[in-house]
Amino acid sequence: MNCAEFEARLHPYVDGELDVGEMLAANTHLAQCATCQSRVERERQFRQLLARQPRESAPPEFRALIRARIRQSARLAALRRWLIAPAAVAAAAVLLIFLVPGSGRAPLVTDLVNKHITYAQIEQPAEFASPDPHAVEAWLRQRAGLRVTVSDYSMSGIRLVGARIAESNERKAAYVLYEKGHTLMSVFTVPASGRIADLEGKRVSYGGHEYMTLERKGYRTVSWTDGPTVFGLVSMLDYDALLECADKLRADRAAQLGA
Amino acid sequence: MPGWATGEDKVQEFERVALVHLDSLYRSALRLTQNRAEAEDLVQDACLRALRSFHRFDPGTNCRAWLLTILRNAFLNLKRRGSHEVFWESTTSESADQSMTDMGVAIGHPEEEFFQTVLHGDVDRALKALPLAFREAVMLADLEGLSYKEISQVLGCPIGTVMSRLSRGRGLLRGTLSRLAREHGYLKESE
Repeated sequence: MNCAEFEARLHPYVDGELDVGEMLAANTHLAQCATCQSRVERERQFRQLLARQPRESAPPEFRALIRARIRQSARLAALRRWLIAPAAVAAAAVLLIFLVPGSGRAPLVTDLVNKHITYAQIEQPAEFASPDPHAVEAWLRQRAGLRVTVSDYSMSGIRLVGARIAESNERKAAYVLYEKGHTLMSVFTVPASGRIADLEGKRVSYGGHEYMTLERKGYRTVSWTDGPTVFGLVSMLDYDALLECADKLRADRAAQLGA
Repeated sequence: MPGWATGEDKVQEFERVALVHLDSLYRSALRLTQNRAEAEDLVQDACLRALRSFHRFDPGTNCRAWLLTILRNAFLNLKRRGSHEVFWESTTSESADQSMTDMGVAIGHPEEEFFQTVLHGDVDRALKALPLAFREAVMLADLEGLSYKEISQVLGCPIGTVMSRLSRGRGLLRGTLSRLAREHGYLKESE
């Protein structure tokens, strides 16, 4: 890849939208081109500027108005359904569709391992680099609207590197990266409803909670579900370390949601 | 009366899955209409449309992108009905490309330390100055954090078009911000 070819891909590169092959070619070019490196840096600064903008929220009275209108509209629709019987049957069918979980997707944990491997090959796996858990949480919230708990594992010698927005099952997911020496650990937070039984692997109990463990392509994974969220840790670290991290993340999250 | 007879289940599901994105809809509506009263009407309209077609929403996909698509369609309908100026064709045509090169004087300038000093109000002003086609692409990508695929669904255009609008839109935005920074004296005229 030369400078012109890289420049044509600058935006998708910074947006994390290149496929793995192009990403690797782009990184090879970047490694030897200071001009394109500074292009990337400027583009990142610009995105950060936009990401720092204050977000306006809907005023509470407007929110209440919308909720009232929704309820009013649903009551009228329900009344119409009662008056027209065949429509009521259709409504029941709609409810059934909601209850059937999505099928035909790649198994979630395997998908997370693939992402861990892909990101590890990128020169800067973290779109947003910071050792501060609060800064990383704020960035994920602003950038993708994800409320993610980022634990501090520095006491165990595991350093926070940063985060990026990943996509899993066509939803935005948070990818938080740590490192212990040269060993990386990814922590994925995926908004996906599911039961722990739907996750792959062997069920283990740790600290009074259930987790799934699975080894794929030489990486160990620990995953679990909590309400409408799936958590997955991927690393070459041993299971003891991963379960300890999982346990702390669960506790930190509970404390945060309870606060 | 049982819950489903009053539509209570549906409403609860809708509130849980869709209404959590109300802030996002509200912000986007403000940026599209640039007018608070119009934005509130638009969000209300979009929410009721979404409720009516909620059975068509695929729970495996991004609900925010789905809602933003509905919001945008409602916005376009509103504009058509109101016989507002035909902004759509003009902003996506070659004349917009031309105006981009005219306005985007600062594109490619190496000195962009002004990013650190840009005022929040400036970004707002610069976004408002963007032609709608570019504004909505930048808004969806950089303020709402949607992926290219999701943006292409919201805008109903190919991913290639999303990429070119983003690239041009961001270029224009930088140009305007750089000009504002110059006006505020953050950047010297010669830079």
